[in-house]
Amino acid sequence: MTEQRDPHGREGSGPDGQASDAAAPVPETTVWQQLTSFRGNSSRGTDIALGAVGFALLLAIWSGLVVFEVVPKQYLASPQAVVVRLWELLTKYDFLDDIWISIYRVWFAFFLSAIVAIPLGILMSSFRIVNGLTEPIIDFIRYLPVPALVPLTVIWLGIGEASKIALLWMGTFFQLVLLIADDARRVPREYVEVGMTVGAKPSQVLRHIILPAMLPSMVDNLRITLGWCWTYLIIAEIVASDSGIGYVIWSARRYVKTPEVMAGILAIGIIGFLTDQFIRWLHRRAFAYLR
Amino acid sequence: MNNDRFIVIDRVSKEFGAHGKSAAVRVIDDVSMKIGRGEFIVFLGPSGCGKTTLMRIVGGLEAASCGQVRLDGATVTGPDRKKGMVFQSYSSFPWLDVIGNIRFGMRFRDDISAAEKERLAQYYLELVGLRGFEGYRVNRISGGMRQRLAIARTLAAGPDVLLMDEPFGALDAQNREFLQEQLVGIQKSEQKTVIFVTHDVEEAIFLADRIMLFSARPARVLQEIRVGDHIGTQRPLAVKSTQAFFALRNSILDVTRRLALQTEKIMLQGGMFPA
Ligand SMILES: Nc1ncnc2c1ncn2[C@@H]1O[C@H](COP(=O)(O)OP(=O)(O)O)[C@@H](O)[C@H]1O
Ligand SMILES: [Mg+2]
Repeated sequence: MTEQRDPHGREGSGPDGQASDAAAPVPETTVWQQLTSFRGNSSRGTDIALGAVGFALLLAIWSGLVVFEVVPKQYLASPQAVVVRLWELLTKYDFLDDIWISIYRVWFAFFLSAIVAIPLGILMSSFRIVNGLTEPIIDFIRYLPVPALVPLTVIWLGIGEASKIALLWMGTFFQLVLLIADDARRVPREYVEVGMTVGAKPSQVLRHIILPAMLPSMVDNLRITLGWCWTYLIIAEIVASDSGIGYVIWSARRYVKTPEVMAGILAIGIIGFLTDQFIRWLHRRAFAYLR
Repeated sequence: MNNDRFIVIDRVSKEFGAHGKSAAVRVIDDVSMKIGRGEFIVFLGPSGCGKTTLMRIVGGLEAASCGQVRLDGATVTGPDRKKGMVFQSYSSFPWLDVIGNIRFGMRFRDDISAAEKERLAQYYLELVGLRGFEGYRVNRISGGMRQRLAIARTLAAGPDVLLMDEPFGALDAQNREFLQEQLVGIQKSEQKTVIFVTHDVEEAIFLADRIMLFSARPARVLQEIRVGDHIGTQRPLAVKSTQAFFALRNSILDVTRRLALQTEKIMLQGGMFPA
Protein backbone atom coordinates (compact mmCIF):
# COMPACT_ATOMS: atom_id res chain seq x y z
CA MET A 1 0.00 0.00 0.00
CA THR A 2 1.36 3.40 -0.86
CA GLU A 3 1.12 6.02 1.78
CA GLN A 4 -1.29 8.84 1.00
CA ARG A 5 -1.29 12.25 2.54
CA ASP A 6 -4.16 14.63 2.17
CA PRO A 7 -3.54 18.29 1.36
CA HIS A 8 -3.74 19.22 5.00
CA GLY A 9 -0.84 16.98 5.76
CA ARG A 10 -2.78 14.55 7.87
CA GLU A 11 -1.81 10.97 7.63
CA GLY A 12 -4.26 8.35 6.33
CA SER A 13 -7.95 9.10 6.03
CA GLY A 14 -10.00 11.04 8.49
CA PRO A 15 -13.02 9.81 10.34
CA ASP A 16 -15.13 10.36 7.23
CA GLY A 17 -12.63 8.66 4.94
CA GLN A 18 -13.41 5.60 2.85
CA ALA A 19 -13.15 2.22 4.47
CA SER A 20 -9.76 0.72 3.87
CA ASP A 21 -9.64 -2.65 2.13
CA ALA A 22 -6.64 -3.74 4.15
CA ALA A 23 -7.08 -5.75 7.33
CA ALA A 24 -6.99 -3.79 10.53
CA PRO A 25 -3.36 -3.59 11.60
CA VAL A 26 -2.35 -5.37 14.77
CA PRO A 27 -1.78 -2.64 17.32
CA GLU A 28 1.93 -2.25 17.87
CA THR A 29 3.29 -3.11 21.27
CA THR A 30 6.52 -1.75 22.59
CA VAL A 31 9.28 -4.00 23.87
CA TRP A 32 8.49 -2.67 27.32
CA GLN A 33 4.83 -3.71 27.04
CA GLN A 34 5.85 -7.18 25.91
CA LEU A 35 8.26 -7.61 28.79
CA THR A 36 5.85 -6.43 31.44
CA SER A 37 2.65 -8.10 30.23
CA PHE A 38 1.17 -10.46 32.80
CA ARG A 39 2.39 -14.01 32.04
CA GLY A 40 3.52 -12.86 28.62
CA ASN A 41 5.59 -14.86 26.17
CA SER A 42 9.30 -15.00 26.64
CA SER A 43 12.06 -15.82 24.23
CA ARG A 44 15.48 -17.23 24.89
CA GLY A 45 17.16 -14.04 23.63
CA THR A 46 15.26 -11.65 25.88
CA ASP A 47 15.65 -14.01 28.85
CA ILE A 48 19.43 -13.99 28.49
CA ALA A 49 19.45 -10.21 28.00
CA LEU A 50 17.30 -9.70 31.10
CA GLY A 51 19.57 -11.97 33.11
CA ALA A 52 22.59 -9.92 32.03
CA VAL A 53 20.81 -6.70 32.97
CA GLY A 54 20.03 -8.16 36.40
CA PHE A 55 23.68 -9.01 36.98
CA ALA A 56 24.78 -5.58 35.77
CA LEU A 57 22.38 -3.91 38.23
CA LEU A 58 23.71 -6.03 41.07
CA LEU A 59 27.28 -5.08 40.18
CA ALA A 60 26.32 -1.41 39.98
CA ILE A 61 24.69 -1.44 43.41
CA TRP A 62 27.62 -3.35 44.85
CA SER A 63 30.14 -0.86 43.36
CA GLY A 64 28.03 2.04 44.56
CA LEU A 65 28.02 0.74 48.12
CA VAL A 66 31.79 0.48 48.09
CA VAL A 67 32.62 3.69 46.18
CA PHE A 68 30.41 5.89 48.35
CA GLU A 69 31.58 4.01 51.43
CA VAL A 70 28.08 3.18 52.55
CA VAL A 71 29.65 0.07 54.00
CA PRO A 72 33.18 0.27 55.41
CA LYS A 73 35.86 -1.20 53.14
CA GLN A 74 36.95 -3.94 55.49
CA TYR A 75 33.44 -5.41 55.41
CA LEU A 76 32.67 -5.11 51.72
CA ALA A 77 35.36 -5.34 49.06
CA SER A 78 34.86 -3.79 45.64
CA PRO A 79 34.06 -6.08 42.70
CA GLN A 80 37.46 -5.38 41.19
CA ALA A 81 39.25 -6.25 44.42
CA VAL A 82 37.35 -9.54 44.61
CA VAL A 83 38.13 -10.49 41.02
CA VAL A 84 41.78 -9.55 41.42
CA ARG A 85 42.00 -11.57 44.62
CA LEU A 86 40.32 -14.52 42.95
CA TRP A 87 42.90 -14.34 40.17
CA GLU A 88 45.77 -14.21 42.66
CA LEU A 89 44.38 -17.15 44.58
CA LEU A 90 44.13 -19.16 41.41
CA THR A 91 47.56 -18.27 40.06
CA LYS A 92 49.67 -18.00 43.22
CA TYR A 93 47.99 -19.94 46.00
CA ASP A 94 46.85 -23.21 44.40
CA PHE A 95 43.21 -22.30 44.88
CA LEU A 96 42.44 -24.51 41.90
CA ASP A 97 43.40 -27.53 44.02
CA ASP A 98 40.84 -26.47 46.62
CA ILE A 99 38.24 -26.03 43.93
CA TRP A 100 38.91 -29.49 42.55
CA ILE A 101 38.73 -31.16 45.93
CA SER A 102 35.43 -29.41 46.64
CA ILE A 103 33.98 -30.40 43.26
CA TYR A 104 35.18 -33.93 43.79
CA ARG A 105 33.51 -34.12 47.23
CA VAL A 106 30.23 -32.75 45.91
CA TRP A 107 30.05 -35.02 42.90
CA PHE A 108 31.23 -38.13 44.67
CA ALA A 109 28.74 -37.74 47.51
CA PHE A 110 26.02 -36.78 45.06
CA PHE A 111 26.76 -39.83 42.93
CA LEU A 112 26.58 -42.13 45.96
CA SER A 113 23.34 -40.48 46.94
CA ALA A 114 21.74 -40.81 43.52
CA ILE A 115 22.84 -44.37 42.94
CA VAL A 116 21.00 -45.51 46.05
CA ALA A 117 18.11 -43.04 45.91
CA ILE A 118 17.03 -43.80 42.34
CA PRO A 119 16.40 -47.54 42.72
CA LEU A 120 15.05 -47.18 46.25
CA GLY A 121 12.72 -44.34 45.27
CA ILE A 122 11.37 -46.35 42.34
CA LEU A 123 10.87 -49.41 44.54
CA MET A 124 9.09 -47.27 47.12
CA SER A 125 6.66 -46.09 44.49
CA SER A 126 6.11 -49.61 43.19
CA PHE A 127 5.81 -51.74 46.31
CA ARG A 128 3.80 -50.83 49.34
CA ILE A 129 5.97 -52.88 51.64
CA VAL A 130 9.11 -50.98 50.68
CA ASN A 131 7.35 -47.67 51.08
CA GLY A 132 5.74 -48.62 54.36
CA LEU A 133 9.01 -49.73 55.88
CA THR A 134 11.20 -46.88 54.72
CA GLU A 135 9.13 -43.74 54.35
CA PRO A 136 8.62 -42.95 58.07
CA ILE A 137 12.34 -43.38 58.76
CA ILE A 138 13.32 -41.25 55.80
CA ASP A 139 10.81 -38.59 56.73
CA PHE A 140 12.24 -38.47 60.24
CA ILE A 141 15.88 -38.22 59.24
CA ARG A 142 15.03 -35.69 56.55
CA TYR A 143 14.04 -33.19 59.21
CA LEU A 144 17.30 -33.46 61.12
CA PRO A 145 19.37 -30.37 60.34
CA VAL A 146 22.61 -31.39 58.69
CA PRO A 147 24.85 -29.23 60.93
CA ALA A 148 23.49 -31.15 63.91
CA LEU A 149 24.98 -34.31 62.41
CA VAL A 150 28.48 -32.87 62.09
CA PRO A 151 29.68 -33.86 65.59
CA LEU A 152 28.50 -37.43 65.03
CA THR A 153 30.19 -37.81 61.68
CA VAL A 154 33.40 -36.46 63.16
CA ILE A 155 33.23 -38.86 66.13
CA TRP A 156 32.50 -41.79 63.84
CA LEU A 157 34.66 -41.00 60.85
CA GLY A 158 37.20 -38.43 62.01
CA ILE A 159 37.95 -35.39 59.91
CA GLY A 160 39.08 -37.22 56.77
CA GLU A 161 37.26 -37.42 53.45
CA ALA A 162 34.83 -40.03 54.73
CA SER A 163 33.11 -37.73 57.22
CA LYS A 164 32.58 -35.02 54.63
CA ILE A 165 31.20 -37.47 52.06
CA ALA A 166 28.95 -38.96 54.71
CA LEU A 167 27.63 -35.56 55.69
CA LEU A 168 26.85 -34.58 52.12
CA TRP A 169 25.29 -37.95 51.52
CA MET A 170 23.00 -37.62 54.52
CA GLY A 171 22.09 -34.08 53.54
CA THR A 172 20.94 -35.08 50.06
CA PHE A 173 19.96 -38.73 50.08
CA PHE A 174 16.89 -38.50 52.27
CA GLN A 175 15.49 -35.61 50.31
CA LEU A 176 16.34 -37.09 46.96
CA VAL A 177 14.80 -40.49 47.59
CA LEU A 178 11.41 -38.94 48.37
CA LEU A 179 11.58 -36.73 45.29
CA ILE A 180 12.40 -39.73 43.11
CA ALA A 181 9.58 -41.77 44.61
CA ASP A 182 7.22 -38.92 43.80
CA ASP A 183 8.48 -38.68 40.23
CA ALA A 184 7.79 -42.36 39.77
CA ARG A 185 4.33 -42.06 41.32
CA ARG A 186 3.42 -39.25 38.99
CA VAL A 187 3.86 -41.43 35.89
CA PRO A 188 0.31 -41.57 34.46
CA ARG A 189 -1.55 -44.73 35.38
CA GLU A 190 -2.51 -45.17 31.71
CA TYR A 191 1.15 -45.59 30.74
CA VAL A 192 1.57 -48.41 33.21
CA GLU A 193 -1.66 -50.06 32.14
CA VAL A 194 -0.71 -49.79 28.48
CA GLY A 195 2.40 -51.75 29.42
CA MET A 196 0.47 -54.44 31.24
CA THR A 197 -2.05 -54.82 28.41
CA VAL A 198 0.68 -55.32 25.82
CA GLY A 199 2.13 -58.09 27.97
CA ALA A 200 4.95 -56.42 29.90
CA LYS A 201 5.97 -57.97 33.20
CA PRO A 202 6.39 -55.61 36.19
CA SER A 203 10.16 -55.44 35.75
CA GLN A 204 9.63 -54.58 32.09
CA VAL A 205 7.09 -51.91 32.98
CA LEU A 206 9.66 -50.39 35.35
CA ARG A 207 12.43 -50.41 32.81
CA HIS A 208 10.60 -49.55 29.61
CA ILE A 209 7.82 -47.29 30.85
CA ILE A 210 8.30 -45.87 34.34
CA LEU A 211 11.96 -45.05 33.93
CA PRO A 212 11.71 -43.18 30.61
CA ALA A 213 8.47 -41.49 31.68
CA MET A 214 9.93 -40.14 34.94
CA LEU A 215 13.36 -39.30 33.55
CA PRO A 216 12.79 -35.60 32.71
CA SER A 217 11.48 -34.69 36.16
CA MET A 218 14.10 -36.90 37.79
CA VAL A 219 16.92 -35.06 36.05
CA ASP A 220 15.42 -31.79 37.24
CA ASN A 221 15.34 -33.05 40.81
CA LEU A 222 18.92 -34.30 40.58
CA ARG A 223 19.97 -30.88 39.37
CA ILE A 224 18.28 -29.16 42.30
CA THR A 225 19.69 -31.62 44.81
CA LEU A 226 23.18 -31.13 43.44
CA GLY A 227 22.79 -27.48 44.37
CA TRP A 228 21.99 -28.42 47.98
CA CYS A 229 25.17 -30.47 48.06
CA TRP A 230 27.19 -27.27 47.83
CA THR A 231 25.45 -25.86 50.89
CA TYR A 232 26.36 -28.88 52.97
CA LEU A 233 29.86 -28.99 51.53
CA ILE A 234 30.70 -25.57 52.91
CA ILE A 235 29.40 -26.60 56.33
CA ALA A 236 31.52 -29.74 56.22
CA GLU A 237 34.63 -27.90 55.07
CA ILE A 238 34.27 -25.15 57.63
CA VAL A 239 33.94 -27.52 60.55
CA ALA A 240 36.40 -30.21 59.76
CA SER A 241 38.80 -29.76 56.92
CA ASP A 242 42.18 -28.53 55.78
CA SER A 243 41.31 -28.14 52.13
CA GLY A 244 38.50 -27.05 49.85
CA ILE A 245 36.73 -23.80 49.07
CA GLY A 246 34.95 -23.75 52.43
CA TYR A 247 38.27 -24.11 54.24
CA VAL A 248 39.78 -21.22 52.26
CA ILE A 249 36.82 -18.97 53.04
CA TRP A 250 36.88 -19.83 56.71
CA SER A 251 40.64 -19.31 57.09
CA ALA A 252 40.44 -15.95 55.32
CA ARG A 253 37.71 -14.89 57.71
CA ARG A 254 40.05 -15.26 60.65
CA TYR A 255 42.24 -12.41 59.35
CA VAL A 256 39.27 -10.41 58.04
CA LYS A 257 40.54 -10.84 54.47
CA THR A 258 37.19 -9.77 53.06
CA PRO A 259 38.23 -9.87 49.37
CA GLU A 260 39.42 -13.44 49.81
CA VAL A 261 36.22 -14.52 51.56
CA MET A 262 34.20 -12.98 48.78
CA ALA A 263 36.42 -14.51 46.10
CA GLY A 264 35.68 -17.93 47.55
CA ILE A 265 31.97 -17.24 47.54
CA LEU A 266 32.22 -15.98 43.97
CA ALA A 267 33.98 -19.17 42.93
CA ILE A 268 31.16 -21.31 44.36
CA GLY A 269 28.59 -19.13 42.63
CA ILE A 270 30.30 -19.49 39.28
CA ILE A 271 30.71 -23.26 39.58
CA GLY A 272 27.10 -23.71 40.67
CA PHE A 273 25.77 -21.49 37.94
CA LEU A 274 27.76 -23.18 35.18
CA THR A 275 26.84 -26.68 36.37
CA ASP A 276 23.19 -25.76 36.57
CA GLN A 277 23.15 -24.22 33.12
CA PHE A 278 24.96 -27.23 31.69
CA ILE A 279 22.42 -29.67 33.11
CA ARG A 280 19.54 -27.50 31.89
CA TRP A 281 21.08 -27.53 28.44
CA LEU A 282 21.40 -31.32 28.54
CA HIS A 283 17.78 -31.51 29.68
CA ARG A 284 16.61 -29.41 26.75
CA ARG A 285 18.56 -31.53 24.30
CA ALA A 286 17.64 -34.93 25.70
CA PHE A 287 13.96 -34.21 26.31
CA ALA A 288 13.18 -32.11 23.28
CA TYR A 289 10.06 -34.24 22.82
CA LEU A 290 8.45 -32.49 25.79
CA ARG A 291 8.12 -29.31 23.81
CA MET B 1 -14.63 -73.30 20.13
CA ASN B 2 -16.76 -70.98 22.18
CA ASN B 3 -17.75 -68.74 19.32
CA ASP B 4 -20.94 -67.32 20.71
CA ARG B 5 -19.75 -67.31 24.32
CA PHE B 6 -16.26 -66.02 23.60
CA ILE B 7 -16.50 -63.59 26.49
CA VAL B 8 -18.78 -64.42 29.37
CA ILE B 9 -19.52 -61.91 32.09
CA ASP B 10 -20.96 -64.04 34.83
CA ARG B 11 -22.92 -62.27 37.58
CA VAL B 12 -20.32 -59.57 38.10
CA SER B 13 -20.75 -57.01 40.88
CA LYS B 14 -18.33 -54.38 42.01
CA GLU B 15 -18.14 -52.29 45.11
CA PHE B 16 -15.52 -49.70 45.76
CA GLY B 17 -14.23 -50.17 49.25
CA ALA B 18 -15.35 -48.26 52.26
CA HIS B 19 -12.54 -46.18 53.63
CA GLY B 20 -12.82 -43.98 56.66
CA LYS B 21 -16.35 -42.80 57.21
CA SER B 22 -17.56 -43.25 53.63
CA ALA B 23 -19.50 -46.43 53.04
CA ALA B 24 -18.80 -48.85 50.21
CA VAL B 25 -20.24 -47.76 46.86
CA ARG B 26 -21.89 -50.34 44.64
CA VAL B 27 -20.97 -49.51 41.07
CA ILE B 28 -21.96 -52.67 39.20
CA ASP B 29 -24.92 -54.75 40.23
CA ASP B 30 -25.06 -58.38 39.16
CA VAL B 31 -24.32 -57.95 35.44
CA SER B 32 -24.22 -60.96 33.12
CA MET B 33 -23.78 -61.19 29.38
CA LYS B 34 -22.30 -63.30 26.62
CA ILE B 35 -20.31 -61.84 23.78
CA GLY B 36 -19.59 -63.71 20.55
CA ARG B 37 -16.26 -63.85 18.75
CA GLY B 38 -15.95 -60.97 16.30
CA GLU B 39 -18.88 -59.09 17.78
CA PHE B 40 -18.86 -55.33 18.21
CA ILE B 41 -20.45 -54.57 21.58
CA VAL B 42 -21.13 -51.07 22.84
CA PHE B 43 -21.64 -50.27 26.51
CA LEU B 44 -23.98 -47.30 26.55
CA GLY B 45 -25.05 -45.53 29.71
CA PRO B 46 -24.99 -42.26 31.59
CA SER B 47 -21.66 -40.87 32.81
CA GLY B 48 -20.57 -42.31 36.10
CA CYS B 49 -22.74 -45.41 35.87
CA GLY B 50 -19.89 -47.90 35.89
CA LYS B 51 -19.15 -48.64 32.22
CA THR B 52 -15.44 -48.00 32.55
CA THR B 53 -15.29 -50.12 35.67
CA LEU B 54 -16.99 -53.07 33.98
CA MET B 55 -14.65 -52.80 30.99
CA ARG B 56 -11.63 -52.67 33.28
CA ILE B 57 -12.86 -55.83 34.98
CA VAL B 58 -13.07 -57.53 31.58
CA GLY B 59 -9.53 -56.31 30.89
CA GLY B 60 -8.24 -57.66 34.20
CA LEU B 61 -7.23 -54.19 35.38
CA GLU B 62 -9.78 -54.27 38.17
CA ALA B 63 -11.01 -57.23 40.21
CA ALA B 64 -14.73 -57.97 40.50
CA SER B 65 -16.17 -58.03 44.02
CA CYS B 66 -18.46 -60.87 42.99
CA GLY B 67 -18.74 -63.08 39.94
CA GLN B 68 -16.19 -63.60 37.19
CA VAL B 69 -15.31 -62.94 33.57
CA ARG B 70 -14.21 -65.71 31.20
CA LEU B 71 -12.37 -65.11 27.97
CA ASP B 72 -12.38 -68.06 25.61
CA GLY B 73 -13.19 -70.35 28.52
CA ALA B 74 -10.43 -69.10 30.85
CA THR B 75 -11.19 -66.98 33.90
CA VAL B 76 -9.71 -63.48 33.73
CA THR B 77 -7.31 -62.91 36.61
CA GLY B 78 -5.20 -59.98 35.44
CA PRO B 79 -4.14 -57.92 32.45
CA ASP B 80 -2.20 -59.39 29.55
CA ARG B 81 -1.81 -58.76 25.84
CA LYS B 82 -4.90 -60.82 24.98
CA LYS B 83 -7.03 -57.97 26.33
CA GLY B 84 -5.97 -54.82 24.51
CA MET B 85 -7.01 -51.46 25.88
CA VAL B 86 -7.51 -48.11 24.15
CA PHE B 87 -7.87 -45.42 26.78
CA GLN B 88 -9.97 -42.28 26.87
CA SER B 89 -6.95 -40.07 27.31
CA TYR B 90 -3.95 -40.06 25.05
CA SER B 91 -1.80 -42.91 26.16
CA SER B 92 0.99 -42.96 23.60
CA PHE B 93 4.52 -42.51 24.90
CA PRO B 94 5.99 -39.08 24.12
CA TRP B 95 9.57 -40.37 24.23
CA LEU B 96 8.89 -42.66 21.26
CA ASP B 97 7.96 -41.63 17.75
CA VAL B 98 4.88 -42.92 15.93
CA ILE B 99 6.39 -46.13 14.61
CA GLY B 100 8.17 -46.66 17.95
CA ASN B 101 4.82 -46.59 19.72
CA ILE B 102 3.40 -49.17 17.32
CA ARG B 103 6.47 -51.39 17.81
CA PHE B 104 6.01 -51.06 21.56
CA GLY B 105 2.78 -53.03 21.22
CA MET B 106 4.84 -56.03 20.06
CA ARG B 107 7.90 -55.52 22.20
CA PHE B 108 7.02 -58.22 24.70
CA ARG B 109 5.66 -60.78 22.22
CA ASP B 110 7.74 -63.89 21.79
CA ASP B 111 5.32 -65.69 19.48
CA ILE B 112 6.59 -63.93 16.35
CA SER B 113 10.01 -63.23 14.85
CA ALA B 114 11.67 -59.82 14.69
CA ALA B 115 11.10 -59.72 10.93
CA GLU B 116 7.42 -60.46 11.39
CA LYS B 117 7.20 -57.71 14.02
CA GLU B 118 8.62 -55.22 11.58
CA ARG B 119 6.20 -56.34 8.88
CA LEU B 120 3.27 -56.00 11.27
CA ALA B 121 4.43 -52.56 12.44
CA GLN B 122 4.33 -51.36 8.85
CA TYR B 123 1.00 -53.10 8.28
CA TYR B 124 -0.71 -51.43 11.26
CA LEU B 125 0.87 -48.09 10.42
CA GLU B 126 -0.78 -48.37 7.03
CA LEU B 127 -4.05 -49.71 8.42
CA VAL B 128 -4.70 -46.68 10.62
CA GLY B 129 -3.56 -44.27 7.92
CA LEU B 130 -0.41 -42.97 9.57
CA ARG B 131 1.96 -43.79 6.72
CA GLY B 132 4.19 -40.75 6.27
CA PHE B 133 4.07 -39.89 9.96
CA GLU B 134 6.18 -42.77 11.26
CA GLY B 135 9.03 -40.52 12.39
CA TYR B 136 6.80 -37.90 14.02
CA ARG B 137 6.88 -37.19 17.71
CA VAL B 138 3.62 -38.01 19.43
CA ASN B 139 2.93 -34.45 20.57
CA ARG B 140 3.36 -33.18 17.02
CA ILE B 141 0.36 -35.13 15.67
CA SER B 142 -3.33 -34.34 16.15
CA GLY B 143 -5.64 -35.85 18.74
CA GLY B 144 -7.36 -38.00 16.13
CA MET B 145 -4.02 -39.33 14.91
CA ARG B 146 -2.99 -40.14 18.46
CA GLN B 147 -6.08 -42.24 18.98
CA ARG B 148 -5.46 -44.01 15.67
CA LEU B 149 -1.92 -44.61 16.89
CA ALA B 150 -3.27 -46.06 20.14
CA ILE B 151 -5.49 -48.40 18.12
CA ALA B 152 -2.55 -49.51 15.97
CA ARG B 153 -0.35 -50.12 19.02
CA THR B 154 -3.10 -52.12 20.70
CA LEU B 155 -3.80 -54.24 17.60
CA ALA B 156 -0.07 -54.89 17.22
CA ALA B 157 -0.05 -56.70 20.54
CA GLY B 158 -2.34 -59.29 18.94
CA PRO B 159 -5.27 -59.10 21.38
CA ASP B 160 -8.31 -61.38 21.36
CA VAL B 161 -10.52 -58.50 22.39
CA LEU B 162 -10.17 -54.77 21.93
CA LEU B 163 -11.46 -52.74 24.88
CA MET B 164 -12.09 -49.11 24.01
CA ASP B 165 -13.07 -46.58 26.65
CA GLU B 166 -14.61 -43.51 25.03
CA PRO B 167 -11.60 -43.32 22.74
CA PHE B 168 -13.08 -40.53 20.60
CA GLY B 169 -14.53 -38.55 23.49
CA ALA B 170 -11.94 -35.76 23.28
CA LEU B 171 -12.19 -35.29 19.52
CA ASP B 172 -14.18 -32.73 17.54
CA ALA B 173 -17.29 -33.89 15.70
CA GLN B 174 -15.66 -34.24 12.28
CA ASN B 175 -12.69 -36.19 13.50
CA ARG B 176 -14.93 -38.33 15.61
CA GLU B 177 -17.10 -39.30 12.64
CA PHE B 178 -14.02 -40.01 10.54
CA LEU B 179 -12.56 -42.28 13.20
CA GLN B 180 -15.85 -44.08 13.75
CA GLU B 181 -15.95 -44.91 10.06
CA GLN B 182 -12.33 -46.08 10.11
CA LEU B 183 -12.94 -48.19 13.16
CA VAL B 184 -15.86 -49.98 11.50
CA GLY B 185 -13.58 -50.77 8.57
CA ILE B 186 -10.72 -51.95 10.77
CA GLN B 187 -12.98 -54.13 12.88
CA LYS B 188 -14.41 -55.80 9.76
CA SER B 189 -11.01 -56.43 8.20
CA GLU B 190 -9.34 -57.62 11.42
CA GLN B 191 -12.41 -59.49 12.62
CA LYS B 192 -11.72 -58.43 16.18
CA THR B 193 -14.07 -58.69 19.09
CA VAL B 194 -14.60 -55.16 20.37
CA ILE B 195 -16.12 -53.75 23.52
CA PHE B 196 -16.57 -50.03 23.13
CA VAL B 197 -17.70 -47.68 25.91
CA THR B 198 -19.56 -44.46 25.13
CA HIS B 199 -22.31 -42.23 26.38
CA ASP B 200 -23.02 -40.95 22.86
CA VAL B 201 -26.14 -42.63 21.46
CA GLU B 202 -25.39 -41.99 17.77
CA GLU B 203 -21.87 -43.28 18.14
CA ALA B 204 -23.23 -46.39 19.81
CA ILE B 205 -25.75 -47.11 17.04
CA PHE B 206 -23.32 -46.46 14.22
CA LEU B 207 -20.66 -48.79 15.62
CA ALA B 208 -22.48 -51.57 17.40
CA ASP B 209 -23.68 -55.00 16.50
CA ARG B 210 -25.25 -54.99 19.92
CA ILE B 211 -25.76 -52.19 22.42
CA MET B 212 -25.88 -52.90 26.13
CA LEU B 213 -27.83 -50.08 27.68
CA PHE B 214 -26.93 -49.55 31.33
CA SER B 215 -28.90 -47.99 34.14
CA ALA B 216 -27.53 -45.21 36.28
CA ARG B 217 -25.20 -46.33 39.07
CA PRO B 218 -25.12 -49.09 40.10
CA ALA B 219 -24.94 -50.35 36.52
CA ARG B 220 -27.43 -52.99 35.49
CA VAL B 221 -28.20 -54.01 31.92
CA LEU B 222 -31.51 -52.30 31.17
CA GLN B 223 -31.84 -53.30 27.60
CA GLU B 224 -29.98 -55.20 24.95
CA ILE B 225 -30.39 -53.76 21.47
CA ARG B 226 -29.49 -55.75 18.36
CA VAL B 227 -28.68 -52.83 16.11
CA GLY B 228 -28.56 -54.93 12.94
CA ASP B 229 -32.28 -55.66 13.30
CA HIS B 230 -32.98 -51.94 13.04
CA ILE B 231 -30.48 -50.47 10.60
CA GLY B 232 -28.83 -53.48 8.99
CA THR B 233 -25.28 -54.72 9.28
CA GLN B 234 -23.66 -52.52 6.62
CA ARG B 235 -22.46 -49.22 8.05
CA PRO B 236 -21.67 -46.59 5.47
CA LEU B 237 -21.67 -43.08 6.94
CA ALA B 238 -24.93 -42.46 5.11
CA VAL B 239 -26.70 -44.82 7.46
CA LYS B 240 -26.62 -41.99 9.98
CA SER B 241 -29.21 -40.09 7.99
CA THR B 242 -31.70 -42.89 7.43
CA GLN B 243 -35.17 -43.02 8.96
CA ALA B 244 -34.37 -46.25 10.77
CA PHE B 245 -31.31 -44.67 12.39
CA PHE B 246 -33.33 -41.71 13.65
CA ALA B 247 -36.09 -43.93 14.93
CA LEU B 248 -33.67 -46.06 16.90
CA ARG B 249 -31.81 -43.05 18.19
CA ASN B 250 -35.02 -41.44 19.37
CA SER B 251 -36.23 -44.50 21.15
CA ILE B 252 -32.89 -44.91 22.95
CA LEU B 253 -32.81 -41.22 23.83
CA ASP B 254 -36.32 -41.63 25.13
CA VAL B 255 -35.13 -44.36 27.43
CA THR B 256 -32.08 -42.45 28.61
CA ARG B 257 -34.12 -39.31 29.15
CA ARG B 258 -36.55 -41.14 31.31
CA LEU B 259 -33.60 -42.75 33.00
CA ALA B 260 -32.31 -39.35 33.86
CA LEU B 261 -35.68 -38.58 35.36
CA GLN B 262 -35.23 -41.56 37.63
CA THR B 263 -38.27 -43.37 36.36
CA GLU B 264 -36.56 -46.64 35.90
CA LYS B 265 -39.50 -48.74 36.99
CA ILE B 266 -41.60 -47.77 34.00
CA MET B 267 -38.75 -48.65 31.70
CA LEU B 268 -38.21 -52.06 33.08
CA GLN B 269 -41.67 -53.14 31.98
CA GLY B 270 -40.11 -53.31 28.53
CA GLY B 271 -41.48 -52.93 25.04
CA MET B 272 -39.32 -49.92 24.35
CA PHE B 273 -38.04 -50.77 20.94
CA PRO B 274 -39.94 -51.46 17.72
CA ALA B 275 -38.69 -54.69 16.21
N1 LIG C 1 -11.07 -46.56 42.04
C1 LIG C 1 -12.28 -46.10 42.44
N2 LIG C 1 -12.55 -45.89 43.74
C2 LIG C 1 -13.74 -45.43 44.14
N3 LIG C 1 -14.76 -45.13 43.31
C3 LIG C 1 -14.56 -45.30 41.99
C4 LIG C 1 -13.30 -45.78 41.49
N4 LIG C 1 -13.40 -45.84 40.13
C5 LIG C 1 -14.63 -45.44 39.82
N5 LIG C 1 -15.34 -45.11 40.92
C6 LIG C 1 -16.73 -44.64 40.96
O1 LIG C 1 -17.52 -45.59 40.32
C7 LIG C 1 -18.52 -44.97 39.53
C8 LIG C 1 -18.47 -45.49 38.13
O2 LIG C 1 -17.30 -45.03 37.51
P1 LIG C 1 -16.97 -45.37 35.99
O3 LIG C 1 -16.92 -46.82 35.82
O4 LIG C 1 -15.75 -44.62 35.64
O5 LIG C 1 -18.24 -44.77 35.22
P2 LIG C 1 -18.45 -44.46 33.68
O6 LIG C 1 -17.30 -45.00 32.93
O7 LIG C 1 -19.73 -45.12 33.33
O8 LIG C 1 -18.58 -42.98 33.54
C9 LIG C 1 -18.29 -43.47 39.63
O9 LIG C 1 -19.24 -42.95 40.52
C10 LIG C 1 -16.90 -43.36 40.18
O10 LIG C 1 -16.81 -42.24 41.00
MG1 LIG D 1 -15.87 -43.87 31.88
